[in-house]
Amino acid sequence: MPSTSPDSRQVQVQALVDAVQAAQTADDLTDAVEDLSACAHPMAVPCLIQVLGFNNPGAAVAAVDGLVAIGSAAVPAILANLDEYNYGARAWSVRALAGIGDLRGLPLLERALAQDIGPSVRRAAARGMGGLHPHGFTARQRQVLAERLLPQLKAACGDEEWIVRYAVAVGLEGMEHWWQPPAPQRQRLLDTLQPLADPRREAAPVVCLRARLALNRLTTTSSAACG
Amino acid sequence: MPQGTPLNEAQALDWLRQLEDPGQRYYAAWWLGRMRSRHPQAVPLLIQALAERGPRLDATSGIDEPNPVARNAARALGKLADSQAIAPLLEALESSDDGLREAAARSLGQLGALKARQPILRRLAPGPLVAGAPRPGTSRLMEPCEALLEALGGLGWQEEDGSTTTDREPLLAVVRAYGDHERPLIRSAAYRSLLQLTREDCWGEQLVKLLVHRELQVRRAALLDLGVTGWRPAGAAIAQTLAENSLKLIALRGLVENSPARNHTSPSPSPEEVELLLAMDDLL
Repeated sequence: MPSTSPDSRQVQVQALVDAVQAAQTADDLTDAVEDLSACAHPMAVPCLIQVLGFNNPGAAVAAVDGLVAIGSAAVPAILANLDEYNYGARAWSVRALAGIGDLRGLPLLERALAQDIGPSVRRAAARGMGGLHPHGFTARQRQVLAERLLPQLKAACGDEEWIVRYAVAVGLEGMEHWWQPPAPQRQRLLDTLQPLADPRREAAPVVCLRARLALNRLTTTSSAACG
Repeated sequence: MPQGTPLNEAQALDWLRQLEDPGQRYYAAWWLGRMRSRHPQAVPLLIQALAERGPRLDATSGIDEPNPVARNAARALGKLADSQAIAPLLEALESSDDGLREAAARSLGQLGALKARQPILRRLAPGPLVAGAPRPGTSRLMEPCEALLEALGGLGWQEEDGSTTTDREPLLAVVRAYGDHERPLIRSAAYRSLLQLTREDCWGEQLVKLLVHRELQVRRAALLDLGVTGWRPAGAAIAQTLAENSLKLIALRGLVENSPARNHTSPSPSPEEVELLLAMDDLL
């Protein structure tokens, strides 16, 4: 809204924050958070982070959308406010970081994928590794980053929860977008996906299908690029 | 489960063998089911435990249910896929303890026990105003209707001689009556069962309506029920439901895997399946 002065914009955002604080029912809260998220203003960040801990899935989804729309400006506050004791809230924070794709969130995604007891946290982390935005990275730097993440996703192929393995397939497919690997490296990506697509090795049919979809798409894009 | 959980299979079997401490028997039964024990002693010991009546556990255990050992044994037997368990579970289905009947009905459904169809139907036949009436002084119903309805849906139409039921209307009429039950969770179970038994879209549409019910508990039940049926037209509505993503993902997985349209010979997803998978991606 270019015609609005910075001051009146802040007043508007503050009014939306007040509406979130004043909400009396779960539905009112969800509506208020959706409105606050739609403005995508950095001033909304503390309030949106607070909502992640409310155990209200509708409101939390809206708050994550808002934090993702705000993007990098939200990252320091999300990292500073992680709730060690509420894994629901932590899952939403990891989801927000995964959606933003800022590299400052990567150490948290790595720790979450390897160690978090909540499958919803591990799945968000796996997906997030495929959604990174390494802006300004050279091909060499992207290669280094991929070398760091590939073994972690490979290890997570053995996760006991099907949804984490599903998210690993999505994450591996997503890596291609920011990595843009040359042919031999691309083959490593395909090799890592292969066990998830094999019904003799993967117990959940839906995981096989998702991994197969990833393989189909990766091989289509590579042949298109070559020919 | 609290601190009283067995450490391994040998200990779980020992705990179930001993008769002094019902708390240990209770956790041992749970453990063997949860871990899908394949030990040859597991099923016989659980069948013995299924016959145990009383005693209530120590108040400090936090477990306050009648016949706790028998109920956990019934639950565990449903997970161990051994047809030896069917006859004793059918007996448990006639117990005066409705919680034990509930556990037995669920397990008989999980075991695909076709012999259970008629006894379950007999329990439901008095209808929602009798079998589905509130049990005075509790939040439960006279019969464990939800478990009974779900078991019927899961059993389908196969007969014990391998043929398929031709006269379906008597059973369907009983189940349909529960579609008008005052409790939405019972309606959800009835719609699920009817959708599995008839594949008629109208029952799927009823379940989709429950996805916008004002109570989260009802929305959760409808999500899981749709997943079990694999009714794919619900995909978009599931993705939009106000509930935890984890449950929506389980439901969408069900649409992919449980649909009659699933082509088990194709390793690649069909276009319809790709759409469901992409909806799942957005929920991770």
